[in-house]
Parts: sequence; structure tokens; C-alpha cells
Amino acid sequence: MASRFFGAGSSSSEVESSSDEEEQVQKAPGRTFQFSDEEEDTKRIVRSAKDKRFDELETIIKQLRNHKKIKDMSKILESFDELTRAMKKANNVVEKEGMPRFYVRCLVELETFINECWADKDGRKSMSKNNSKSLSTMRQKVRKYNKDFEKDITTYMESPDADVPDEVEGSESEESADEASFSKDVTAKASDFQKAEAEESSDDDFWGSSDESSSSSSTDDEAYGENLAAKFLKKTGPGTEKREKRKREKKELKVRPEEEEVENDGQGEWTVVTPGAGMVRERPKMFTKDQEITVEAVNKKLHEILAARGKKGTDRSEQIELLTELMKISTAHNLGNGMLVKILFSLIMSVYDYNPTVSLCMKPEMWQKLLDLVQDLLQILEGNPAIVINEKVMEELENLESTTEEFRVRGCVLSMIERLDEEFTKMLQACDAHSTEYIDRLKDEKMVCCIIEKLYRYLESRVTSADLCRVYMLRINHMYYKFDYTTIARPADEKAAEKPLEKEAEEKPPEKEAEAEGSSGEETKITEDTQQVEVVVDPSVLMDELCKYIYAKDITDRIRTRAILCHIYHHALHNRWFEARDLMMMSHLQDTIQHSDIPIQILYNRTMVQLGLCAFRHASIQDAHNCLLDIQSGGRAKELLAQGLLMQRQQERRPEQEKLEKQRQMPFHMHINLELLECVYLVSAMLLEIPYMAAHEFDPRRRMISKSFHHQLKIAERQTLTGPPESMREHVVAASKAMKVGDWQQCTEYILSDKMNVKVWNLFPETDRVREMIRQRIQEESLRTYLFTYSSVYDSLSLVTLAEQFRMERGLVHSVISKMIINEELMASMDEPSQSVVMHRTEPSRLQSLALQLSEKISILVENNEKLLEIKQGILPGTQRRDGGYQQRGYGGDKWADGGQRNYQGGNRRGGHQQSGGYRNRNQQDGGGGGGGGGGYQRRNQDGGQGYGRRN
Amino acid sequence: MASGRGSRRTTESEATVQYVQLDGLVVLNIIKHCEEVGSELSQGVLLGLLIGNCLEITNCFPFPRNALDDPDFDEMQYQMEMMRHLRYVNIDHLHVGWYQSTFFGGFVSKALMDSQFQYQHSLDESVVLIYDPLKTTQGYLSVKAYRLTPQTMAIYETMDFSPENIKQTKMAFSKIFDEVPVVIKNSHLVNALCLEIEEIGPPTEKYSFLDLATSSVLEKNIKLLMDTVDELSQDSNKFHNHYRQVAKQNQAKQQYVQKRHQENAARTAKGEVALPEEDINKLFKPLLPPSRLDNLLLSGTNCFYLACFLAWL
Repeated sequence: MASRFFGAGSSSSEVESSSDEEEQVQKAPGRTFQFSDEEEDTKRIVRSAKDKRFDELETIIKQLRNHKKIKDMSKILESFDELTRAMKKANNVVEKEGMPRFYVRCLVELETFINECWADKDGRKSMSKNNSKSLSTMRQKVRKYNKDFEKDITTYMESPDADVPDEVEGSESEESADEASFSKDVTAKASDFQKAEAEESSDDDFWGSSDESSSSSSTDDEAYGENLAAKFLKKTGPGTEKREKRKREKKELKVRPEEEEVENDGQGEWTVVTPGAGMVRERPKMFTKDQEITVEAVNKKLHEILAARGKKGTDRSEQIELLTELMKISTAHNLGNGMLVKILFSLIMSVYDYNPTVSLCMKPEMWQKLLDLVQDLLQILEGNPAIVINEKVMEELENLESTTEEFRVRGCVLSMIERLDEEFTKMLQACDAHSTEYIDRLKDEKMVCCIIEKLYRYLESRVTSADLCRVYMLRINHMYYKFDYTTIARPADEKAAEKPLEKEAEEKPPEKEAEAEGSSGEETKITEDTQQVEVVVDPSVLMDELCKYIYAKDITDRIRTRAILCHIYHHALHNRWFEARDLMMMSHLQDTIQHSDIPIQILYNRTMVQLGLCAFRHASIQDAHNCLLDIQSGGRAKELLAQGLLMQRQQERRPEQEKLEKQRQMPFHMHINLELLECVYLVSAMLLEIPYMAAHEFDPRRRMISKSFHHQLKIAERQTLTGPPESMREHVVAASKAMKVGDWQQCTEYILSDKMNVKVWNLFPETDRVREMIRQRIQEESLRTYLFTYSSVYDSLSLVTLAEQFRMERGLVHSVISKMIINEELMASMDEPSQSVVMHRTEPSRLQSLALQLSEKISILVENNEKLLEIKQGILPGTQRRDGGYQQRGYGGDKWADGGQRNYQGGNRRGGHQQSGGYRNRNQQDGGGGGGGGGGYQRRNQDGGQGYGRRN
Repeated sequence: MASGRGSRRTTESEATVQYVQLDGLVVLNIIKHCEEVGSELSQGVLLGLLIGNCLEITNCFPFPRNALDDPDFDEMQYQMEMMRHLRYVNIDHLHVGWYQSTFFGGFVSKALMDSQFQYQHSLDESVVLIYDPLKTTQGYLSVKAYRLTPQTMAIYETMDFSPENIKQTKMAFSKIFDEVPVVIKNSHLVNALCLEIEEIGPPTEKYSFLDLATSSVLEKNIKLLMDTVDELSQDSNKFHNHYRQVAKQNQAKQQYVQKRHQENAARTAKGEVALPEEDINKLFKPLLPPSRLDNLLLSGTNCFYLACFLAWL
């Protein structure tokens, strides 16, 4: 029967008329049943002791043969033992019937096989230890065992069955021939097989015997017995398909008895699996020919199909097909939009269900289908305002047919489209970002945006504000990272008056909207028209509107936080630094962000980075540095921005964790260029750090402003040979070195070199402005560094020369220097008439500053020792209050004299304290004398190096 | 070559060794060794003989450099071998001490104390020669001989560096080492050569204050000094904290005793049996006083740094 089944699956059968096919299929299951009934009968009646024993032997022999094929010696040994045992059991039968020929044949074969194996020395060597051991045991056993059957064997040898044991087909048919010799009922079967293809016959064999054989695994093996590899290799091609189908049928066979009562519908469901059967031919299976197709019937059918959803054995693609079919039927019979919407809903859901795991993304075809379906659905919904879709509609209250009332359908369009959005992100995540496939996918973004837009228009008047917030959020998610290139087009001075311009922008004809994120610039080429958006609104205005609505109406904190972050991001992206900064400050997100969920934290990081970049463009270097510091300091920017997984050195990620992290990744077109980020960070760090380093060269309390910048410097220092800079980092390091000696020209050359332009600066939308800003900053900071570093060499400096040297305006130089003087960074004064800076020569030399540090440290030591001394004197080291008292006494007058004397005595006793006590004492006396030079130590500590300088 | 700049201050203690007589050969050997080793620490064995109050050091040999890396290397074996070989060529083979290089005088350490203690413990006349290669680069020779004072030896034997013990034995950082005057003795031939060279060469008189390199050396010295001062103040802080804790404990103890007394008084007044006096030390475990060894060593190091510093000025 199986052969006929497959025959139907062949291409020729597809031409057959549908009714013919139906008949055939209808018949088929019945036949199967008959067949199995027959088998059961034989089991009961004919299968006496003899048959039972022989069958047993036979199965074992089959197993043995299989093991032989894969040369699994230990298994062969096992089977052989089993065989001998079975033979013993069958002893009295054998006595009656004579030695079964197939048994003798098996023994002969086994012996030759073992001898062959034994002779093959190389093969034996390569065998596993277990196998070779089994082989030698087998050899002995078989030899011994065969002695008992010597007579039978010799008779067999005289007229061996003409066969080549290795050839599958032959042996199989042989076997059936053998079977025929002792079992009548099998003969019929065997002859049947002979007609069929060899491979299939063996399969059928297993079918027939599946009832009898106890272990399914062995039969399964048998099914592919002739070539185990085929099981794995022949994945494609009709064979595998057939097999799968057969399996399914097998299942059906088992289910059958329970389903006997189920009427045609049930049967219709399995007819679908008929291989190669087209959709058209299936249709009658859905509903019987004469059945009236009504809404109820379709609804019932829909429920039936959906009942299988999520069950283990359900074929998901089949479900989709079924639903598509059902939809066609319902459109064909004009069942109304209510039904259509309901079926569409289920269909979309089953498309979502298509992937077994959530983490996998859809196939492109599926995705296309999904897009079409969703668009259809929205079209219908838009066209029929009477349809109410709501998840609150109870299933019983659904109204699918009545034309008088409004349709009521259970379901939620919003979550469906949210899911669509998620799927889209997943698709993008799964693509290789540098392939054309990605671009193809990205083209769908337009569609997705369109759908969201439609959804928004559809839901605008229908749902609560909370739901509307969700829709808005979806729109924002697709908007916030896109750079609106029209902003650059506007003249800079007009920017101040942005309000009227925005109105102007609205009137502008449809413009090109850049897909890509402005700063990264990677996707700048992928531009798309936005014809779908009928009214082109300035994205900024739209963004404002959407966000403000969310701020006002949102009840879940999450959406509001997201909206704020996106808003800031958008502001920062479009160079509106003050708005962005103020919004960030007002939101107070910095305090609470560590408590929010990870996607929001990622968004926060992205926003901070964008804010930093914006600050940099606005020459707020300090702000830029602060914004980027957190992201950049750990060297984990990539991870923090969810733009790729970092290799973890310490521990391996757990697979689940990795999966989770992969899910969080940003699609490539939303990435922020990491090199740009790092470069901006390093340049800001350089602009801050180099003058600071120059100013605080000897300060022991000097702190690093940027650790990673220092790290880069250190790496560069470690290199034995420094060539011309190649990478971005090397450029910055080289520039820093130039800046250290005040060589602003060299520094600018490095930072604004061609390489850097291509790599980094060109990614900014307003490149020239940024470059000009950087140049100015470098000039200023170089001037500062120069003054810090070389002020000790000069007595006075002419402003004119400085202005010339740094190519800055004299006024600017003047202001920079004045600022330094005011901040007491530079010990100098301005001499207006001569236009020069007069140095005060106050910086201590290296040795002097070191000596100052030493004196500071020693005074700490002295204080410590004095505390110890107090203990010696019996004053308990008491509370803070007493310590305070000590302090007062220390600087006071009368009491100290007393204490000092005692100090001195104490000092005599122990050498260690003699010095300290004495020193302190002297100090005190000098101080009492009117604050001469000696008292300096203490005071100097208090006001540090500058104080020292000023006194001189 | 100029003779050792070590002061010829005589030690008050009746030491077995009144002065050390160094052979020119030994000095050159040590210098050579340190040059070879570079900036690493170099150590070696001194050989010689004690004659009366004078310890004559006539030869030396270095410890191999990477001895610590090689697990199979047996130091004792090596020394014995060397000495035997030297004996064969009829050189003094008596072990009389060891030498070590130092930078900026920061040689005082626990390791040095340990090994010098071992030496002096087994051979009473052992000395440690401290050689400063940096000075040599400036044109001065700095070789000094030190011995642990009897006080140090006594304390070291017990390894008791508790504050009380230090106090009792009147130990101080200045009393860790005895400096033994060093005399370099050359053969007459060499002396003659030296005189000759002196006549030929430029005046050997040096004015160290004109030396431009001093400032960097001084800076380094100050930095080192700062480090030790830092450590020292940390140490004294520790010590101070210890006393605070002791004081707190004492207070607690007193309170406890007082309370017990009152209770007992009340009980006897009521006619009950007084509570037994428990061992107070069980309730309040006496705090372990911190070792003063670090303090001594750091102070000693400081002292030597300062000496070194002053030598440059």
C-alpha cells in the first residue's frame, strides 16, 4: 500500500483529477487496516511455537547483520550470544522441523565475516580496544559453536544460497525467500515486496513487523539498514520526504481507532499531508462537497485548526497553509470582513508561531508574507470602521456575520504590530550587517514605518491614551536615531529663529529622509523617499509632539523614560545641545537609571554618547568628556552600547546569557560609530589633560582626568620605535606629544590629518565647523600648555609674539592669559603699555617642590609621633574632642610651653623622639617669636606651593 | 685611588674587630662584580683572617647571579667548592663575612639583618661590606663595613621586638649597626703606581657642589626618603592605634572589675555567696603589640638615606 501511496506522490499523479485522488486516498487507510488485521490474525493462529521461535531467531539475525555492516564487534558478540540462547530455546522445535536453513546460513556468514576481519590486520589495529577484544572472543566462540553444527554447515556449503551477502537488495530478497520457506503468510508479503522497489520493500517490511517487534529503535535501524549513512545523507530528495510522510501516516494509523468516529472533517485534516497534493485539491477536504459554507462552519473549522496550535506534532507550515486556504474559502464565499479579519488574525499569529524558538528570526519569505498580511489586515480595518477589534471582546460575544451591528473581533492589533516590530529587529540582528541582504531587509523599514503610521491613524480615535502611548513609542523608536539632513541645509544664523522655519519645513515638498543615523554616516547612502508619509512633517516637530504626548499621558514609567531618552537623543543628534542638556538635567535620569531594565540602560548609554558628541560639536569639551567618560573608561563601549559582544577573558558566557545578550544587540543601522566616539573622547581628554599635566607637574595630589587617555600615552611610550601615526589612537597620542611642547601646528596637523578626516571627522554632519572648532581649541590649549611648561624660562613674554606664534588674535591671547592669572595658574602679571606678560618667577624648582613634599610628609610623621608620645605621658588617646583640644594647644601659646618641655624630656629618653620633639619645640618657639621663616613649615603646608611662591 | 671615605670613628664597644683592612684586590673585585651585574643587587663572600683586632680581608668571590631561579643550586655547596678551590691556590679561605651593593644607602632590610645575624652568630668576626656603585660613577669610593651591635644580636636571638623589650634593652635604630672603620691596604708596588698616576693625571680634588648631576641624585634620594617617611608614619599610626585599642580594653577591663566588685558587695550584703573572681585575661585577651622591627628598620633606612643625602651636599 505504501508503494501506491508514493506513487500518488509522483509528478504524474498531480495531473490526475481531484476526485480520483480523493477516492484513492479514501481507500488507502482502509486497506492499511485490513492489512494489519490480517497480521494480527496470523499472530494468533498460525504463529505457533515454531513461528514464534523462528521469528525471534530471525530478528536477532537481522540485528546481527546490521551490526556486521557497521562492524560493531561488541554488538555482534551480544547478538550472537542472544542468538545462541534463542536457539537453545528453539531446540525442540528444531528437533521437530530440522535445522532452519537461515540459521545455518547466518552462522556461515558470521564465521566468514569474522575470519575476514581477523585477516584484516590493519583493520584490527585501527579497531577500538573494546571491539578488538570482542572480535577475538567471537572468533573462539563461533569456532566452538559451529562445531556442533558441522553437518548442517557442510550440507549448506554444498549448496549455498546464491547470494552476495554484501549486496543489500539481494540479501533482502533472499531473506524473504528464506522466510517463504517456513512461513506461508509472510510469503504473500514477500512476493508483494518483490514487486516493489527494494528499498521500499525493506521499509515495508519494517512496517509490517512493527507490530511484532518490541523495540522500535531496532526497526528504525532496519529501515535504513542497507545503508546507515543514507539516513543522514539523504536529507533532500523524495526519499526523505516520503519517509517523513510515512511516519506521519504511521502516527495517524495509531490515532485512527480513536478517531474513527470523527467525521469527514477529521479525515480531511490528514488528507492535507498527501504528498504533492495541491491546495486546490485539498479544498474539498476542508468542507465536504455538499456542506454549506457558512460563517459558523468556517468558524468551527478555524477553531479546529487553531486547536492544534502549539501542540507538539503540529506542522506549523501546514497550519499556515490551512489557514490561507480557509481564508480563500471565506473570501470566495463572501463571508464578510468580520470573518476575514478573524482568519487573518489567526494566520498572522501562526506566522509568528512558525519559528519554534523565539530567538530565531523569520525566514525572508515568511517575513514578506507577514508584511503583506498585516498590510491587508490594516487595509480591511481601515476600510471598515465598523469592525471593532479588542482583546476585551469575549470569544462568545464575537460578532462575525451580522451586518446590522458592528463586527466584534477578539484580538489586539497593537500587540500584533509590536510583535512585527520585534521580528523586524530580529531579522536585522540576524543578518550580516555588511551584506546586501541587510540592505534588502532595511528597505522593509519603510514598510514597517508605514504600517506603524497606519496603525496610528487607525487607532488614534479608538483606543485609550495608554495604548496610544505605545503606538507613539513605536513611532519614536523608528524615528529618534534618524538624522534629518534638512537641518544642515538651513543657514546657521537662521537657526536661532527655529519656530518659523519649522512651519516652512512643513510646506516643503517631500524631501529625502535619510535612513541612516547621522553621525555614524554608514548608511548615508541608503536613502529612501518617504512618499508614504503624505504630509512631511519636520521630524523634530513630530518628535516633540509625540514625546510631549507621552510625557503628559503615559502612566507606565517605562515608556516615558524611553521617550525622554529618545527625545534627548534626537535633540543631541540635531545639534540642539542646550535643549538636550536641559532635558537630561530635568529628567534626573542619571540617579535612577541603574534601577531600570537593560534595554533602557542601553538606550541611556546611547543617549549619553550622543549627548557627548553634541557637546563636543558645541565646543563644550568638559561636558563632552564627562558624558563619554563612563562609556569609554571601561573599554567596554561596544558592549555598553549593545553593538557587539565582547570576548570575555575570565569566564565563558553561559549559552543562555549569550543568547540574551544577542537579543539586545542594536541593529547595525542604529549603531554609533565607535571610532568616532573614542576619538572624540580622546581628543577631549587631550584638550583637558595636557594643560592640566603641564600645570601640575610636581603636584603630588595630581589626579588623572582620563585614565584611558593615560593608558594610550603609556602604550605609546612603551614602544621602542615610534613611526608616523597610523591609527586614530596613534594620531591622538602624537598630537598630545606635540601639544605637550606647545606645538599647536603639529598637533592640529595630526588631529585634522586626512586620515583622521576620513576616519572620523567626516562622519560629523557639519564637518568644517567641527574642524574649525577643534583647531581653535587646540590653539588655546597649546598656548596654555606652553605657558605652563616654559614660563620658568621667561622673564616676560610679548603678547604680540604669542599671538603670532599661536596664530591667535591678540585679544584672545590676552583673555586666555588673564584667565590663567585670575585662576592663579600662572604667576604673572600683565603689563599693558608694553603688551607683555611679566613672569613672577615663583615656580619652585623640582628639587624644591620635592623638598616641600618631604617636609609635608615629615610633619605628618612628627604629628603621629607626638600622638604616641602623649600616650607615653599617660594622656589617654581619647575622643575626638580631646584631639581637638590638642590641636588648639598645639597652636596656642602657654600650655604648649609646658607640654613642649615634657616633650623634650621624653625625647631624651628615646632617640627616635629626640629629634621630632626638638624640632617641634623649636618650631613652636620661632612661631611664638613672631612668625619668622622657621614657622613656615606648618604654614607652608597649609597653603601649599603657591603660598610659598607668593611669600617670596 | 682615594682611600675609603668612611669616617674613622672608633666604636666604644669592645668589639672583637677594631678595624677592617681591605686588600685593593677585594675592592676591585667588588667593583667589577657590581659593574657586571648592573643595577641589580650583587652579593658575595669575603675571605680573610682575623689578626688581633684587625680583620684582614684578602679575597672575595661573588654569588652567582641567577642562583635563586635554579632549584638545584646549592649555595653552601657552591661556597665550599669555591673555598676549596681557593685553598688549592693558596689563598686565604676563611669565611669572614660578605658584601652587598646598595643604592642611596637603602640597604637596611630584614633580609640583610637576617643574614648578618646568621654570619655573626656562627663566626663572631663577620662583617658586611656595603658598597655604593653610584658613588663610584661619580668618582668616589664608598665601601663601609658594618657589624650588628651586641644589643641587636641579643634581641635578634630572642626575636622579641615588642615595645617593652626594646625599651628595656634601650634599643634604637642608631644602635642596630656598628660601623667598623675600613682601611684599604695596598702593596708597596701598587702604592708606588698610585702615586705615579696621581702625578701624571689631573688633580683628583673634586668639588662635589659643582657637580651638575647632583640635583637628579638628590631628587631621587628625596623621593626614596619620602617613601620611607610615608611608611614610617604609617607604622607609627599602627602603633598609635594599638595603644588606643589597649587603652580601650583597659577601660573595659576596669569597668568589668568595678561592676563585679559592686555585685559582690551587694551579694555579701544580702548574705549570698560572692561570685568567683574569674581570670580577667580570659575575658579580655591581651592585644598583641605590633613588632617594632619595621620601625627600627625604617628609621635605620631613613638615617642612612640622610647620611647619603648629606654626603652629596
